[in-house]
Amino acid sequence: MKPKLGVLAVFFGAAFCSFVLGGCGKSAAEVKPAVAFGTYDTEVDWNDNNRLIPLGYQESQGKRVFYQYCVWCHADATPAGPSNRSNVTPTPPLMNDGEKLNGESSEYLQNIITLGGSALGKSAMMPPYGKTLSADEITSVIAFTRAIAQPAYQKPGRPGSQYAGKP
Amino acid sequence: MPAEDMGKLSEKLRLTFAVSTVVCVLALAISPLKDFRAEWKHYKRWFVKYAQTRPDTKKLLADYAPNIDQVWLPGMNVTDRCTTCHQGITQSSLADASVPQPFRAHPPVPHNVRQWGCTICHRGQGPATEVAEAHETTLAWEQPILPAHFLQASCGRCHQSDFKEGPQLARGRELLTHLNCQGCHKLNNLDRPTLGPDLSSVGYKVTREWIYKWLKEPRTILDNDGNVAMNGYENEPEPRMPNFRLNEEELKALSGFLSVQKAKPIEKYKINPAVVTAWSKKPDLISQGEVRFRQMMCTTCHSLAVTRAGETKMIGGDIGPELTKVGSKVNEEWLVAWLRNPKSYLERNNMPRYGWSDEDLYKVSQYVMNKLTDSDLLANVPQLGTPTDQEINTGKRLFAEKGCASCHALNGIAPQKEFGPDLTALGSKNASELEFSKAKIDHNLVSYIQMKLQDPLSVNPAARMPQYHWEQADLEAVTTALLSQTGPAATSALQHLEVPRKESSFQAVGAFAEVYERYKCYACHRFNGYGGTLAPDLSFEGSRARQKWIAEFLKNPQTIRPTLILRMPQFNMSDKDASIAAEYLSIAVQNPSVDPQSVDARQFTPAMVSLGKELYEVKYQCQSCHTIGATGGYVGPNLNNAGNWLTPAWIEAWLRNPQTLQPDTIEPRRAFTEEEIRALTAYLLTLRAAIKPLTAAKATAPALAERGAGR
Repeated sequence: MKPKLGVLAVFFGAAFCSFVLGGCGKSAAEVKPAVAFGTYDTEVDWNDNNRLIPLGYQESQGKRVFYQYCVWCHADATPAGPSNRSNVTPTPPLMNDGEKLNGESSEYLQNIITLGGSALGKSAMMPPYGKTLSADEITSVIAFTRAIAQPAYQKPGRPGSQYAGKP
Repeated sequence: MPAEDMGKLSEKLRLTFAVSTVVCVLALAISPLKDFRAEWKHYKRWFVKYAQTRPDTKKLLADYAPNIDQVWLPGMNVTDRCTTCHQGITQSSLADASVPQPFRAHPPVPHNVRQWGCTICHRGQGPATEVAEAHETTLAWEQPILPAHFLQASCGRCHQSDFKEGPQLARGRELLTHLNCQGCHKLNNLDRPTLGPDLSSVGYKVTREWIYKWLKEPRTILDNDGNVAMNGYENEPEPRMPNFRLNEEELKALSGFLSVQKAKPIEKYKINPAVVTAWSKKPDLISQGEVRFRQMMCTTCHSLAVTRAGETKMIGGDIGPELTKVGSKVNEEWLVAWLRNPKSYLERNNMPRYGWSDEDLYKVSQYVMNKLTDSDLLANVPQLGTPTDQEINTGKRLFAEKGCASCHALNGIAPQKEFGPDLTALGSKNASELEFSKAKIDHNLVSYIQMKLQDPLSVNPAARMPQYHWEQADLEAVTTALLSQTGPAATSALQHLEVPRKESSFQAVGAFAEVYERYKCYACHRFNGYGGTLAPDLSFEGSRARQKWIAEFLKNPQTIRPTLILRMPQFNMSDKDASIAAEYLSIAVQNPSVDPQSVDARQFTPAMVSLGKELYEVKYQCQSCHTIGATGGYVGPNLNNAGNWLTPAWIEAWLRNPQTLQPDTIEPRRAFTEEEIRALTAYLLTLRAAIKPLTAAKATAPALAERGAGR
């Protein structure tokens, strides 16, 4: 009876120590904050062939829509080779032109894609895509534009909020 | 036992009891203490702290509860506790990249997390409550989370038909089909594969030496530095034929066996001697042959390596084989017979039967035999001579053993069933089920598949799988497609979610059937979901184009889209064939929603025409994409001959809603009024520029093409 109890006590004690110590080993501070599982897709930087820009899910959907509908006039190289950009006056901005596009709000871009250029007092050569693409698809194209922008796009913070100006 | 001893004993016993009670209490405290320190509780507390630093604290903490949160969907076998830590997953205000993980919101996807859970797409261990157990492979939990880059594999579990939202998956499936992986492996939900050439009479076509070289080293196009200039399968720069790592003896035996395959004699054709005498002395014979070769648009299906400024590029299509060195490959007698009537050599093939004059046949065959050559191609091949009986027998055995019959038809040799492993459930394998041999890679399924594809011997020294050469993007695409092969759905609820692949077929009938087969219309064009995707879908051609225009176009095809590099070949089609095809197409392949009687062209007035012109040029500025005359864009077809080409009913239906007629067209749907539609139609019908006859000036056109796509 006695030896058995002793063994039991030692067992419990050891188990207790190991549990507590084990628990200490995984203290909150040591847990990795995020597990890196890569990016959904990538796009080659248009100004630098050696740089890959990581794309999230929404941006990669935008890439798909861009390369089907927009690339013909908003890029200098297209999947078919030559670009239609030079045939259009005024010349449409390149989709990665941050200097031109970073200043425009996402709402404005959403509107001009949905309603076309003439509805916003711009060139009628930009046709409306609101009846062809879904609102989500248009949002994703804008997300893609923001991702590839050179110079990089900075999200505007709310004026006066503690986040204003933060990247 | 004496009474006085009882007290002593009971004191000892009491002490033991006291100690063991303390130990028991402490032991019982372990569990609540451990629970209090659980990893997930740390994230719960952190989220509260984090939410308090945000302006929308109230909204973020509205549904907060300090316990384990789970999505339980018994029908789909989902018990996902991921939202215990990923607490901001449905909070749109936490979408920004500056929000620390695991609190960031999920990007908007068609599948809501409460209805689908997480592991259906991301895999990993739903019921686990520790970070490592949920995401990685541990002793007790074997399914790691899928890297985001291969996530489209999960879409493929249910979406078995065309899936435009997942281009990587679609490309991977296309490659699995194109490379005929199904020849050796069992795979689910793929199109019918394209096989390699039938070898029943290959002895008439090529020499034993060429076969030897091909088996040893299928890739022969090198750039200046001796490197393979092209890679990937986009333009068939790399043959679909992989390298089987054959030794010298096997090469001799197989080449010997194949060189005696002469099942059906070729239809020899003697070109008119007068033509040969007249042309053979002309110095521009070869260059004239090249002009004809280009005019007939052979490069729409075949590619050629072109070197300019030290850079070698493949230009042309990938429907037929690459032809850069074909003159050093085939026998001249075979080439002439093949060009005249491809069917006489192979019953099933994709080569159209052109209408040849003796002159053209002589010029083009001389060009191919003398210009598309490489004198060094067979330089390192020994003279092999006639094969011995022993070599032929060994070759026959090897043909079956190496799996050649899985891709190539040959008289008397049937493909072996289940030659390679069944891959229909590869995507759900655990790492412990895989053999890694000595390969120094991470022990997980994704690394395994990529390594096996890149170098089959590294993970299995006895592998029979041949060596392929992949471009990184293609390797990842094929890996994604293989990961989507997860075997039968675990539960019936998941089976109901499957979006099955569409089976399509098209049968040409009557006199057209012969024309359709002769010119292989289906190699490039699609009819009701059946056929190639290179050229426009002709399912509704009868509603779109006028019969007279179709007949003229077939006899003298002119490109309607100026930027296209790959164009309709010049078949030299006879009047009879052209009128049969035009009649069939205009009557039998129509869109029921386009009523040809609905528009009466006589109603159009000059006022409507001028209004239409103004709408076209000023209000809608269609010239940004379409060309009329010499100005305009080249995104859409040029409209110079629209009046002769398109039917009025089609123009009106198209202007109302182009996507109903052609779902993937990039022409946007506009909000035209009925009056505007009528005016635009009236204007377009006045555009009637005659088709110019073909000139030799086009010969340089393919050389201008920098990139071979044009789809």
